[in-house]
Amino acid sequence: MATFGSLVVLRLLLAFSPIPNYLYDNQQLTSPLTSYTRLKEGVFLLQNGFDPYAGQLFRHSPIQLALFSTVMPPNKYVLHAFWTLLDAATAWNLANIWKKRSGTTDWRRETIIQASYLLNPYLLFTSLALSTSTLDNALCVYAISLAASGKRAPALFALALLTQSSLYSVLLLPPIVLLLCTGPASRLKTPIAPSIRISDVGRTVFTFVTYMLVLMGISTLVAGNLGWMKETWGATLTVPDLTPNVGLWWYFFTEMFDHFRSFFLMVFTALVTIAMIPLTIKFQHDPLYATYLLVGNISLFKSYPTMADPGLFLSMISIFPELWPYLRHPLPTVMWHMYAATLLPLFNNLWLGHGTGNSNFFYAATLVFGVANGAAFLDSTWAGLIAPYGKPKQGYTLLQI
Amino acid sequence: MVFHFLRRLILFTLFYSFVAAQTQDQVNAASKFLQKDGVQGHTNNWAVLVCSSRYWFNYRHMANTLGMYRTVKRLGIPDSNIIVMLADDVSCNARNKFPATVYSNNRRSIDLYGENIEVDYRGYEVTVENFLRLLTGRVDPSLPRSKRLLTDEKSNIFVYMTGHGGDEFLKFQDNEEISAFDIADAFEQMWQKKRYHEIFFMIDTCQANTMYSKFYSPNILATGSSKLGESSYSHDHDSDVGVAVIDRFTHLVLSHLEGINKTSQATMQQLFDAYNFDHLRSTAGVRTDLFQRDPSKVLLTDFFGGVAQAEVVQSDDVDDARDFARLASSAKPSVVADSQSGKQQKVSTTWMEMGSDRLGELGRNSYGLSRVWASVGLIFGTYAVTRFLF
Repeated sequence: MATFGSLVVLRLLLAFSPIPNYLYDNQQLTSPLTSYTRLKEGVFLLQNGFDPYAGQLFRHSPIQLALFSTVMPPNKYVLHAFWTLLDAATAWNLANIWKKRSGTTDWRRETIIQASYLLNPYLLFTSLALSTSTLDNALCVYAISLAASGKRAPALFALALLTQSSLYSVLLLPPIVLLLCTGPASRLKTPIAPSIRISDVGRTVFTFVTYMLVLMGISTLVAGNLGWMKETWGATLTVPDLTPNVGLWWYFFTEMFDHFRSFFLMVFTALVTIAMIPLTIKFQHDPLYATYLLVGNISLFKSYPTMADPGLFLSMISIFPELWPYLRHPLPTVMWHMYAATLLPLFNNLWLGHGTGNSNFFYAATLVFGVANGAAFLDSTWAGLIAPYGKPKQGYTLLQI
Repeated sequence: MVFHFLRRLILFTLFYSFVAAQTQDQVNAASKFLQKDGVQGHTNNWAVLVCSSRYWFNYRHMANTLGMYRTVKRLGIPDSNIIVMLADDVSCNARNKFPATVYSNNRRSIDLYGENIEVDYRGYEVTVENFLRLLTGRVDPSLPRSKRLLTDEKSNIFVYMTGHGGDEFLKFQDNEEISAFDIADAFEQMWQKKRYHEIFFMIDTCQANTMYSKFYSPNILATGSSKLGESSYSHDHDSDVGVAVIDRFTHLVLSHLEGINKTSQATMQQLFDAYNFDHLRSTAGVRTDLFQRDPSKVLLTDFFGGVAQAEVVQSDDVDDARDFARLASSAKPSVVADSQSGKQQKVSTTWMEMGSDRLGELGRNSYGLSRVWASVGLIFGTYAVTRFLF
């Protein structure tokens, strides 16, 4: 508990230091959908009577617009305090997920989990940059935590709220539905298909759809018309804004011909969405793990990622300590991440700050980052698959019949 | 079914005529603005500056043209609207003691060549054929845009020519001539093709006034440096450069123009009144019979500069196109009245706030923000419902 408190205080101290001033417009930590400066702009426009979605600048969800123009003024200090609070809540929720999964409490384990979230540099710096991806992470972990606790309606509401700002999180619905219908306990070592009642699933999905519709209605009320959908979800799906970020999409879409644009959109969207069904089916015996893997997949392939998305994935591995022995290449993954984390700001500065490099440098660094994330994702998937069988003995291979 | 269609047709016709009436209002307002007395009828300015003689000892003709170029650019005509034709390059001539420079007085105070001039036709490209093709627009499709005279019916063109001339001819490149008839016919073609609104023709050669004697197209104001039988003289001779560097007539005109800037209300008549025989040693002439307006009402900047006049309308009264039309017809033209009375008027820029009040309505009354507060309440309410009821 003391560690947790001191980590939160450390975050607060960092938040009120001059460091965040350099981070607000950082392209690794913020994206056009999550940037703090754009949020301020949107709130200013709304308060002065203009439609914030008319200018194609503001791409936050109307719910966030509503929150930050009324309850929470977009004042730096207030938001820093709020962001720290969010991080603390997320860390606590992560530990809560583990508690529900293992059924016990162990303060040492919980501290490790909280520290892995609060000390993760990807998450720390994104939070200092006041990027709303911290808000998304908080909602994601909260939704999973509520689902792990069996609270159906709040979990689905949190997921619906998350989908308003991060559209790809709707892909988390199937594993969360399964999680709600079965339970968070670790069944990785015994991969038996669980018995699920269709009526349960139907009820859950119906609840989620209702909450989505309610929230969409509220968003339309805030925005005044339906234009917000094209500017927020439409931006996620059709990538109109090609500001560089740490994702894999932007470079492709800057350099390819317009003729092929829809083809590329289809391919990239397929990359994001295609893992949902196989992962859910393969890991139906442990839907919490499927959720974790899907978070990793989405963060790897989403259209406007920030460093917080893979950061969450990396921190979440602390919830599954039973799988650590089965990871095949944890050290190279960490090294890849360190490599990418060094290169990304370096090449970004070389290209956009000094002007001596060009966009290919930064693109190469994003590819390295993608490899690092992919390595983490594949390793986790492998560990989850091999868990029932234990580590392969020398000279034996594992066959799938 | 038919009745339904008829109803649609009537509605559409009404709507279309309403919109057409609106736009017609705007068109009327704009035409009224452009036709008022004393207000310019032109919307853009062009300049064609031609030096037709080559060789080192015709340095002064190059300097004439470049001096005129500099003045015209200073007064606001952009490079894209100026065609400069220099038959020779004296700045990089081997005999130039000050390479890459062209001076127009013997104190060498201003380098007309500078670092930023755009010469469109140079050297052997300056021919009678090219000049006439430029004016009439009958050019090869491959000719680059910077070498074309892209004028329209609202363009005021300043045509300046200098070189060696005689009775109704001007010598090009020492091997051919253009006659006054050629230029007159070219201008008539331009008139027929609506390629100019008004032309101001200035020529500084020997017996220059004969060159404009044959014009027969409307809206041409012409001036020349000397009459039939007289030569035009050079003004400054520079001992170091070794040749005469400017001609008297051009020197007089440029000195006169040095005293004005873009906001000047100085008139053409004032320029013509400044001609004096003692200074020029020749009788400069003016031809105004083809010109509709009175030279004392024509601003110098109408031809030498690229100046636009604007009418400032009070923002309170403007709500839509109809109001604008009403206002324009009952005009209180603040800028124009002063120009007619001859006062020096500073042209001020005023940001016109088009219906700003309407945009501010949403923020100023609480309707917009109340919606946002309502939605926040709804979000928290739904969350509470999910948390505590289900």
